[in-house]
Amino acid sequence: MELIDNLALGFSVALSLQNVLYCFVGVLLGTLIGVLPGLGPIATIAMLLPITFGLPPVSALIMLSGIYYGAQYGGSTTAILINLPGESSSVVTAIDGHQMARKGRAGAALATAALGSFFAGTVATFLLAVFAPPLAELALQFGPPEYFSLMVLGLIASVTLASGSVVKAIAMIVLGLLLGLSGQDIYTGAPRFTFDLPELSDGFDFVALAMGMFGISEIIRNLEDEHQRSLVAAKVKSLMLTREEFKRIIGPVLRGTALGSFLGILPGGGAMLSSFASYSIEKKISKTPREFGRGAIEGVAGPESANNAGAQTSFIPMLTLGIPSNPVMALMIGALIIQGITPGPNVVTEKPDLFWGVIASMWIGNFMLVLLNLPLIGLWVRLLTVPYHVMFPAIIAFCCIGVYSVNNNTFDVYSMALFGVLGYALVKLDCEPAPLLLGFVIGPMLEEYLRRAMLISRGDPMVFVTRPISAVLLGLAVAALVVVLLPSVQKTREEAFKE
Amino acid sequence: MRILSAALAFAAALGLSTGTATVAGAQAYPSRPITMVVPFAAGGPTDTVARLVAESMSKSLGQQVIVENVGGAGGTRGAGQVAKAAPDGYTLLLHHIGHATAASLYRKLPYNPATDFEAVGLVTAVPMTLIAKTGFAPKTMGEVVEFVKVNKDKVTYGNAGVGSASHLCGMLLMSSMGAQMTTVPYQGTGPAMNDLVGGQIDLMCDQTTNTTGQIKGGKVKVYGVTTKDRVKSLPDVPTMQESGLKDFEVAVWHGVYVPKGTPKDIVDKLNAALNTALDDPKVIARFADLGTEPEPKDRRSPAFHKDFVIAEIAKWKPVIQSAGVYAD
Amino acid sequence: MQIIRNPKDVLSGILFIVLALLFAWQTQELPMGTAVRMGPGYFPLLLAILLGGLGLVVLVNGLRFPGEMPSGIAWRALGIITLAVVFFGFAVRPLGFLPALAASVFVSALASRKFHVVTALAITAVMVVFAWAVFIKGLGLPLPLLGPWLGGY
Repeated sequence: MELIDNLALGFSVALSLQNVLYCFVGVLLGTLIGVLPGLGPIATIAMLLPITFGLPPVSALIMLSGIYYGAQYGGSTTAILINLPGESSSVVTAIDGHQMARKGRAGAALATAALGSFFAGTVATFLLAVFAPPLAELALQFGPPEYFSLMVLGLIASVTLASGSVVKAIAMIVLGLLLGLSGQDIYTGAPRFTFDLPELSDGFDFVALAMGMFGISEIIRNLEDEHQRSLVAAKVKSLMLTREEFKRIIGPVLRGTALGSFLGILPGGGAMLSSFASYSIEKKISKTPREFGRGAIEGVAGPESANNAGAQTSFIPMLTLGIPSNPVMALMIGALIIQGITPGPNVVTEKPDLFWGVIASMWIGNFMLVLLNLPLIGLWVRLLTVPYHVMFPAIIAFCCIGVYSVNNNTFDVYSMALFGVLGYALVKLDCEPAPLLLGFVIGPMLEEYLRRAMLISRGDPMVFVTRPISAVLLGLAVAALVVVLLPSVQKTREEAFKE
Repeated sequence: MRILSAALAFAAALGLSTGTATVAGAQAYPSRPITMVVPFAAGGPTDTVARLVAESMSKSLGQQVIVENVGGAGGTRGAGQVAKAAPDGYTLLLHHIGHATAASLYRKLPYNPATDFEAVGLVTAVPMTLIAKTGFAPKTMGEVVEFVKVNKDKVTYGNAGVGSASHLCGMLLMSSMGAQMTTVPYQGTGPAMNDLVGGQIDLMCDQTTNTTGQIKGGKVKVYGVTTKDRVKSLPDVPTMQESGLKDFEVAVWHGVYVPKGTPKDIVDKLNAALNTALDDPKVIARFADLGTEPEPKDRRSPAFHKDFVIAEIAKWKPVIQSAGVYAD
Repeated sequence: MQIIRNPKDVLSGILFIVLALLFAWQTQELPMGTAVRMGPGYFPLLLAILLGGLGLVVLVNGLRFPGEMPSGIAWRALGIITLAVVFFGFAVRPLGFLPALAASVFVSALASRKFHVVTALAITAVMVVFAWAVFIKGLGLPLPLLGPWLGGY
């Protein structure tokens, strides 16, 4: 069995004392920066790059990967505790996770996130080990038309992120799409929605938008009625999952893992799409969809599993083809180049110790993460008992530092303040911010793929239906649209008749 | 001593006398860490070059040279920030060929690439390669030219966005072939390479750093290198000039700059440190892994670098203007 | 019978329409292109029209169905917290990282009705030490501790 030989090689590399140590340092750092809002894996890996010059290539890559998937674990913590998603994938976790925390179930939400992530990480790593080359070939079948259709599907599904009015949710998505388009048009170089500000030539920063819309506006909202807020925080129930809750998360975790494993291999928005695709599915098949947005544990379990599975499988294009699927992977390729390894399709055969060592280390890393995170839950939950008027200035400080450190740009701090005000206004008007954020991320990609597909097909819109994968995805999008609109049409009618 | 320097800096900040601060700083330059601004994201090819050079320069200068990534606006944000920095030798810029082409690509550039900086020295010129999807019909560069002339805009050429090296190479290629292809822009090299390997687009031109692995792995076809001479890491690949494209030469050259008005002794000190770095066997070995080598000694002086920037601005101006592209 | 039956929806409708007009106005200078060769203005204008239309639907719904008035707006917190964030952005370069952070933490503490000088100073001190230890020492962020106005660089 070749696979067993390869895995044996991988574990012999990954289990050396030095590599276990670097793996631990990686996941620990990853958890830390994931928990600190705003400070993402990109900034951290960029800063640690010079340190890896002196390490052997395998150790360097093991540590850097640990930071990446460790940050995915840690990112859910602040999203749940203080409604502060630092990354697009934890936006979804914040919706129900934070509601659970407000009901005193922060411990259960965090435990769900940790267990779901652990399961998903383990399974996805297994897929990575067994099917990496064919999966990479599959990802290459996705051209611009397929991506466009996938984005359309994602957009329609994102309507389900809101629990209130569907029309408002769609309007918020469109507003997000428009905000996402600000910056330089990559096709012509023309500046759009930049209001003649040079700082906007690359558009608004996602972290500034997310921290403003979620973090800052949440703080202002909590200060409306401080008395009530502190009561909620004090009412922390048991830390672990009840048997009933455990049963409820099994299905979502399995579905989330499958979804995340597949979408993760697609470069670009794959891993991000998977977390909210999972949320939409769970909400649609749930017997109690009204609980979603009010603290449904399925809304934490599914997306968290999907997002961690995606984080593992997004290594596939990088490790097997040498093509980065996101900015973090591009940084890792940079690290390999500095190490004197030319990333490309030959790495698997020429450096089997590197390829299999990194894969084996992911199992070890995921195991360490769950061991590290479960005991930490008690500590995090205790943080919630800190009086809110003591805690919120600290959260503001973290937001400021986090947003500034992304690009060392004060403009991002100002835009966070602006989005804080806008976010507060929208919340007061019952417009939910999550669909806007997803529109913001998808907007530029949607337009980019649409225009690219049209360029390559020389203006023939039929490419979207004549290419089989694209046609299937568009078909699913139409089906999703029907599913999304039907109940709401009925609901509005019912409400209209009630009067 | 600390209080004194603090008072001096305070005075400088109030605009009383910038001169005093500079003179005081020059006495024992460098007396504190130096920032090297890279106007691109961390982990990219330019960032890699900067980090290798900065690490070696730190040793000979006796002060840490810290790389700071100030990405955005095609490198003009970082360059603009350095142009406005104090000319005291504590803020450096490491930029590539885009420094010269920005002069023609941006109509509203807030600085002048030729006159707002002092050139410290050229670092390295990374060669590029013209590659294609494996299913692309032509076998040689000559056949590519014929194929493009017949099929014109049915041929698709991918690049990494306005002003990127792959964009420049494509413009030069089309102007020397005398035929237009359909240009398909991407956000960076990674996604473009993905679509080339997946067979969605036909051609692309990119730095050897990114292409060597794909070429050796047989995932893409290669037609030529863009430098005057063949490249050591790809000895069998002919140059574009060998294939009959006269005067075709592009390389992603990198240079170090400081703000205009930096005292000459500081520039010389930095140039000496840069020279030491480029002779460092470790740096040479790492550059070889990147598919490049340090600039030869005669091209490293500030004077050569200064003239070179002016010559490059002049070289690209007609190419960019005839293609009619602007980045703002 | 009031004309405005759901003030929240009417206000959000107006907000969407105003933003749609702002975006549409911004696309005026951009080339539209055609459906086949879309210019940079094509997609944004399409979206702006869509947003305007949706805003109109929300607005009309607000006139038809009853709802609540937005209530309990925390003007004081809104103002103070925005000020604290903007001040950090303004001060981080000239004053340096730690002074800017200290000022922002202290100012934002004022937003709470339970504000107490001693507590606020304590939080400020703890945050400054924590940020220094984690971000500067631990993670090595390249942030100037003291800006040029305070004698740093």
